[in-house]
Amino acid sequence: MGDEVTRAKWDKAAAHFDLMAGRGAEERWKPFKRELFSHMHGRILFLALGTGLDIPTFPPGMTITAIDISPKMLAQARPRIERYDGEIQAHVMDVHDMSFADDSFDQIFTSCTFCSVPDPIGGLRALRRVLRPGGELYMFEHTGSAYYPFRIMMDMMTLLTRRVGPDMNRTTVANVKAAGFELREVNNLFLDVVKTIKAIKPAGERKTLGGAGMEGEPRP
Amino acid sequence: MDFRPFFIIGDLISNGLVGAVVGLLCALTVGVGWPMFVVMILAMLLGMLVALVLFFPLSIFFGAMEVMLPTMFSGMISGMVVGMWCTMVALSPGSGAFLGAICALASLMIVWVLNKRLQGPQLCVDGGDHGG
Repeated sequence: MGDEVTRAKWDKAAAHFDLMAGRGAEERWKPFKRELFSHMHGRILFLALGTGLDIPTFPPGMTITAIDISPKMLAQARPRIERYDGEIQAHVMDVHDMSFADDSFDQIFTSCTFCSVPDPIGGLRALRRVLRPGGELYMFEHTGSAYYPFRIMMDMMTLLTRRVGPDMNRTTVANVKAAGFELREVNNLFLDVVKTIKAIKPAGERKTLGGAGMEGEPRP
Repeated sequence: MDFRPFFIIGDLISNGLVGAVVGLLCALTVGVGWPMFVVMILAMLLGMLVALVLFFPLSIFFGAMEVMLPTMFSGMISGMVVGMWCTMVALSPGSGAFLGAICALASLMIVWVLNKRLQGPQLCVDGGDHGG
């Protein structure tokens, strides 16, 4: 069935999304995204393709499976998908309810995604399921800040922004660990808020759907 | 920080504008003799509110978090300083805007210094608390 509330929220945002996020933010983040996505190889899952703003920063020649919960977002992405010098197979799919088999991908990439996934630890566990043991998770995310006064500001902003889009105060690094990944690198790009995260699914781990036995549940 | 001239100028414009607007509003509304502590709190909130409103047009050109956080901080500091100042001495709207802009640009410098300290790789192997 999927998350109809989240789908409706992003369907509603689709028409104006590029106006708000397509110029300043993308231009500012482009060098960092290009560097992060330069690690792409093998079977790749890209989570939350949105309107495809990230596609121009993908290296050419890749075969990428991409998902997004919003069909209207993916409709906006269609021209960028067609212009990409490679293959992007885009599917309307909820990260919490993915139809891919276990261990289907060598790498998973996200870009400003886990500010919006309603159950971030559940979503990350779902990613761990479809990632092969030893596979890599690369994330470009904005998170909450550990420092005042930014922490308070982002908590206040979240009261507003979660109605129309993302949360501003997610603890994504802690969530990645809680979902059973091994962190390899966290690279702060702006304060401790905009960052890239590299993690791996531990090789040889038993298949534990739902991530049973994880310690510590950070706030979502 | 981002050393591309477009974004440096954008940061200066964004924060200077927010500070000027907050300073102007404080100079227009706060009177001499008003309770300083109450004015300080309200003016800080006003500063963040102004930053939030101006964030939407400014972010289209200059970025998201890189605009939102510094301008909210700048607005807060500008509101605090100009608001408290206005409880002691009557400021003209122009002076309030000028003082607000100066405070905002000083706040931006603080954010740039903080950013310089926080930027970069935080760890290479699992373990420890990495915030965020």
